[in-house]
Amino acid sequence: MDNKKDYQADRRRFLVSMGVAGAATLAGPSLSAMVNEGEVEWGEDHEIVVIGSGFTGLAAAIEAHKLGATDIVVYDMMPYFGGNSTYNGGLFAVPDSPLQKENGIEDSPERMTADQVLAGRGLAYQDLLLHVASHANEALQMTLDAGTEYLPYLQQLGGHSVPRTYQTIEACGAGIIRPLVEQCRKLGIKLVTRAKFKRLIFNKEGTVEGAEIAMGYYFGRDVDGTPVNVRSKRGLLIATGGFARNVGLRSAQDPTLTEEVPSTNPPSATGEALLEMFRVGAVPVHMAYIQTGPWASPDEDGFGYVSNYSIYNFAHSVSINVRTGKRFMNEIADRKTRSDAQLALRNDDGSPLPPITITSFEDAKEHPTMEKVLKYKVGWKFDTLEELTAHFNVPLEPLKAQIEEYNGYVKSGMDEQFGKPMGKAEGKYIRAPFVVVRNWPKVHYCQGGAQIDVHARVIGSDNWQPIPGLYAGGEVTGGMHGVSRLGSCSIPDCMVMGMTAARTMMKS
Amino acid sequence: MKPQMILTVFIMSALAVFTAENTFSAGALKQFGDHMGRSHHALLYKRQSCDSCHENSEPTAFPADFVCLDCHDEVELVQATARPEEEKWQNPHNNMHYGKDVPCMECHGEHRESELLCAGCHSFDYPDFKK
Repeated sequence: MDNKKDYQADRRRFLVSMGVAGAATLAGPSLSAMVNEGEVEWGEDHEIVVIGSGFTGLAAAIEAHKLGATDIVVYDMMPYFGGNSTYNGGLFAVPDSPLQKENGIEDSPERMTADQVLAGRGLAYQDLLLHVASHANEALQMTLDAGTEYLPYLQQLGGHSVPRTYQTIEACGAGIIRPLVEQCRKLGIKLVTRAKFKRLIFNKEGTVEGAEIAMGYYFGRDVDGTPVNVRSKRGLLIATGGFARNVGLRSAQDPTLTEEVPSTNPPSATGEALLEMFRVGAVPVHMAYIQTGPWASPDEDGFGYVSNYSIYNFAHSVSINVRTGKRFMNEIADRKTRSDAQLALRNDDGSPLPPITITSFEDAKEHPTMEKVLKYKVGWKFDTLEELTAHFNVPLEPLKAQIEEYNGYVKSGMDEQFGKPMGKAEGKYIRAPFVVVRNWPKVHYCQGGAQIDVHARVIGSDNWQPIPGLYAGGEVTGGMHGVSRLGSCSIPDCMVMGMTAARTMMKS
Repeated sequence: MKPQMILTVFIMSALAVFTAENTFSAGALKQFGDHMGRSHHALLYKRQSCDSCHENSEPTAFPADFVCLDCHDEVELVQATARPEEEKWQNPHNNMHYGKDVPCMECHGEHRESELLCAGCHSFDYPDFKK
């Protein structure tokens, strides 16, 4: 077997290394539970231990190597690397970037922070935002050094006051994750799959000294793996992402997010490491702020094709309640407003009744996703309104009247039904042939998580000081984005906080 | 796996495919004694050589990830499933999200029906994929 494929946890080795302390139980959240009685038998010993192989974890590993660490290990519970980061849209906001300079765009970390503070509706942690914005260029450079390729132009996303968003040529975070994984391999950073973080191990002084990792864990296959105590000399970084796929946890925060609301995230976004941090005293922040995407589709899992299609097309489309044939929302209201309106659409038995979004083929074809949407049958083209209404079982006459009414708003530039800004719909009447998708919100991003400081240290609730030896970064943390994260601000958050954690650990 | 062993398995497999061609297609899921298994591995079942893939002859756990590559060549697999340029990242053996890092068993079932990992989100068509 060649070295490249050598990263699965070695079953025989950890069977041998499993010791007495492997079975040490940590019962409750009291301080005594955080301190391990007696000797811990360590199965493995490393300089830096990272839990999670998304943007945060890989950036931390590469930065730690750069700063001189020679024994770095990254664990992932899945059979492959990248977590939700490799599903991400590949949008990366960087203030004062090389592309901005080329194009004469004035920007600054302060300006990006101000945009985010506004979206955070007063709850965002300004110090964290400014820290990330100030170091975003270094993170961008790390991806370029690893071989990431970006589109040659910047985009201006919702809520950003200037164009500052790079996008990978794949339009996916995989365009960053894949090169970072290869970079880690080149640098001799140990990457281990099927290794699930179980619990933190403290020494008698209350410092995190390592973690119990279940090696040979098979996600979704009822194989729990074998616990091994892994020691980390310089500290442990939790970089495990959000909890969008943990229905119990998310609906405990927001009761509207039941199992019938899907997610753009992979099934591994379970949040168990976050709960372990809370168990040892980390401070929960903003846990109920869970962002749903009203642009998603019930006809495909994950982010899919319809999301980018709808984001582009909503401005010049009508979303229709299939029961009434009428509109029910401003198609470009903020994410929460639209998701709430969609979730209220129900059959008599209370089951979900996803609305349809109707766009003129003439306008839809301007975006490259339309082809994919039709090809993979998550959207449909109709030559007449009769065919459309028959397909979705929509009452024809009310829909006909609704479209006529809406086209009047396109002409007048004033939406008298829902107050939708009609600027971007100018001249774009709804007419045959039509392209139609169905929409239903999906849980996209958890703003909440564990509190950290600008050094990526996890704050403890017993004394409001950092928990020694414990670091966290990325979506598993809370506070930075407040109520609502702006698009393209997760990659800089993750990458910079991963690098920051490495810098702090290497000083320890 | 020892080279000699690989050779033996190879010859056995080739023979199996050759002799079995008329009764079932290569890759089909079939009953072999107590186990379901793939038709092209027929002789492995006949000789009860579980340790060709598993760690020992009385397995209690999954084989190591990528053990299949002891016999099946990765480069050939990547070539065999290459897609046209606009779909190049839909190559299951070298895909956009995970590159070549997806363990075989995440899509291929030896003792059970196969399920494509990507089918969780995508509806890509792989006409040659054997369930």
